[in-house]
Amino acid sequence: MSSPALQARTRVTRIAQEAVDKARLTVVPRMRTRAPRVPFVTLVSLVLVGGIVGLLLFNTSMQQASFAASNLEEQADTLAAREQTLRMELDELRNPQRVATEAQQMGMVIPSAPVFLDLKTGKTSGVRTPATRENAIQLLPPAPIKPKVLAPDPTIVKVPATTTEVPPTTTDAKQRATDGRQKQRKNRSR
Amino acid sequence: MLRLRIGFVLIAMVLSFFGARLVQLQGVDPRSYAAMAASEGAVRVPLLAERGDILDRNGIPLADSIKGKVVFADPSLTADKAPEIARLLSDRLSVDYFKTLTALRGRHDGSRYEYIARRVPSTLATDTVAELEELGYTGVGTDDDPIRDYPAGDVAANLIGYMGTDEPLGGFERTFDKQLAGTDGEATWQSSSSKSVRIPLRESTTKEPKDGAPLRTTIDRDLQWFTQKVLAQTVAQYKAASGSAVVLDTRTGETLALADVPTFDANHPADAKEEDLGSRAMSETYEPGSVEKVLTVSSLIDAGKAFPRQKFKVPPNLARQDRVIGDWWDHGPIRLTLAGIIAQSSNIGTVLAADAFTPPQLVDYLRKFGLGQRTDVGVRGETAGILTPGDQMTSQTKDRVAFGQSVSVNVLQMAAAVNAIANGGVRVAPSLISGRAVTDDGVVVGTDVATRTRVVSKEAARATAKMMEKVVDPEDGVAPRAQVPGYLVAGKTGTAQRVNPVTGLYDGSTSLSFGGFAPADDARFTVYVVIHAPQVDGGGGSVAGPVFSRIMGYVLGRYGVEPTNGKPSRLPVEW
Repeated sequence: MSSPALQARTRVTRIAQEAVDKARLTVVPRMRTRAPRVPFVTLVSLVLVGGIVGLLLFNTSMQQASFAASNLEEQADTLAAREQTLRMELDELRNPQRVATEAQQMGMVIPSAPVFLDLKTGKTSGVRTPATRENAIQLLPPAPIKPKVLAPDPTIVKVPATTTEVPPTTTDAKQRATDGRQKQRKNRSR
Repeated sequence: MLRLRIGFVLIAMVLSFFGARLVQLQGVDPRSYAAMAASEGAVRVPLLAERGDILDRNGIPLADSIKGKVVFADPSLTADKAPEIARLLSDRLSVDYFKTLTALRGRHDGSRYEYIARRVPSTLATDTVAELEELGYTGVGTDDDPIRDYPAGDVAANLIGYMGTDEPLGGFERTFDKQLAGTDGEATWQSSSSKSVRIPLRESTTKEPKDGAPLRTTIDRDLQWFTQKVLAQTVAQYKAASGSAVVLDTRTGETLALADVPTFDANHPADAKEEDLGSRAMSETYEPGSVEKVLTVSSLIDAGKAFPRQKFKVPPNLARQDRVIGDWWDHGPIRLTLAGIIAQSSNIGTVLAADAFTPPQLVDYLRKFGLGQRTDVGVRGETAGILTPGDQMTSQTKDRVAFGQSVSVNVLQMAAAVNAIANGGVRVAPSLISGRAVTDDGVVVGTDVATRTRVVSKEAARATAKMMEKVVDPEDGVAPRAQVPGYLVAGKTGTAQRVNPVTGLYDGSTSLSFGGFAPADDARFTVYVVIHAPQVDGGGGSVAGPVFSRIMGYVLGRYGVEPTNGKPSRLPVEW
């Protein structure tokens, strides 16, 4: 197995020898091709600057969008709240108690039994019963029972003047002033 | 070479310092550093779930949630200008001026947070704070604080319940809290300024809140309102302790109205007496009295042990062992048919008819009518009532049960039992929830799970209805005032003695009731009314009858049920 390989090697060496003989290498004088650098540098700088500025602008616009978003969110919240408040007001307006109060003020009364009118034949079914003031239902609970006299007269207890003596330590100055004369008299009589 | 070595040593030293710091940061207490990093400029906002509405059968809210705000003040900023701020706040938010003034000055030293008002509608709160800021006053802020509003005030309040400061305190609000409450969410993001504007491309998470699911009831708001008003008027007129009324859709068992008087305004539960906050109709037991006779009689007919024209000789008194049973009116020996016994509401006659039953037989029927068991419609604290088991029942007790004594019920139970006769002998379990809902205790309730059970035959129910028509007959019956002009009405009065809950004895007061349905030959609605302990004399027919008539007239008109023009019952009452 090794012999054919050996043969090959000798053949190759011979061929290489011929090639080397043919192409004798000599030192080529250094040929410096000076490509113009400016366009490249400009391009790179432009890309860099462009990238940075773009990034900056992108970031700024994102920030702005973020501000806008939170403003809009706030606005949406406010509007949603307003809608809910209005809905609540509507519900309170639809409160049967309020509707009934208004209706009764206009003189309407809930009938005690319904009567039906057939629109095709124009006939009524059911017993027609008059709806009178007595049929009106009481919308508010009856007023609390008031006492017979709203402002009762004050209870006055007359105390005989001679039996009690005003103590000397009374702090009420007015009382003392008005009673002064009486007291003096009493003192005298004693 | 030396320089290189020294360089390597230096680098190794620096790197080992870095390594040590790394171990310190990551190994010793990594979480606290991570938290510190996260909290730097982080904004965390709870996203409140909106509480589900409670709706009536037409989708009109009986309870709804709206966005609200709590208005608070930082006294360190507001104390100097307290009077000016307080004046504006009390004007706009209608809060007490002096309380606001105290809050703005701080209720204690060094206070930085004082409530000014809670549950202010969102728009009002933000407008007010914006106005304050425009005037140059600082230190007043707002925060989320949802409002629970009951637009119709006291309508169905006893069923819906009410909310406390932060948690449900009664009724459906509490029973179905899990469904209504929903789950709060949370949003976190990085913020650069005090205005909490998000920094884009920075870490932010949002867990959306899950709003509570609405609860749809079978209540008809307008009808409920009307029922409450009519009932309240009668309770006031007869100076009664309380009253209840139920309107059932005969065919579906849906409760269109369940009224309790006295009631309360769900927006201001604190103004009401505590005992008025629940539903008396469901939680209080009472003896139904003569309305129960229709259950006994229909059972007898179903069992083939009686028929409407059956003749009875009714004596003035009926001695049963050591007890004497009497009737509500004095009479000599009279001859009544079974129809006459119902029309005249004779206790003695009913006892004589019920002699065909043994106690277990009667109790079996009553149990099938739903007595002695909860209706389980989703109302808290419902009573099951009292029905003595048949095998423990003495014959004396059975005699009394046959005409509605010695048996206790709640209002809805009794209404559902009468409804079974209206519905051709099939008892439909009553329901208050449309569709289905699960209580917090895990009980499934609602129209979807309502059961139907045949109690008595269609013929027996029909015959009983015919007899009940006689009750409102102006000549033969005891309750002509329960009639609805133009309609055939079937009903039964009840005047029962009340048991004092303390002594366990009859205390002389009465429960007056009327239960019935219309149109009698094709029933659409069942109405049952009870007035407890009136202080003005009257019976079931004269007090509860007119209430029944008024409610029935209204509901028939409201749902467009035309008169059937059927022939009135011609059953004889005497022979």
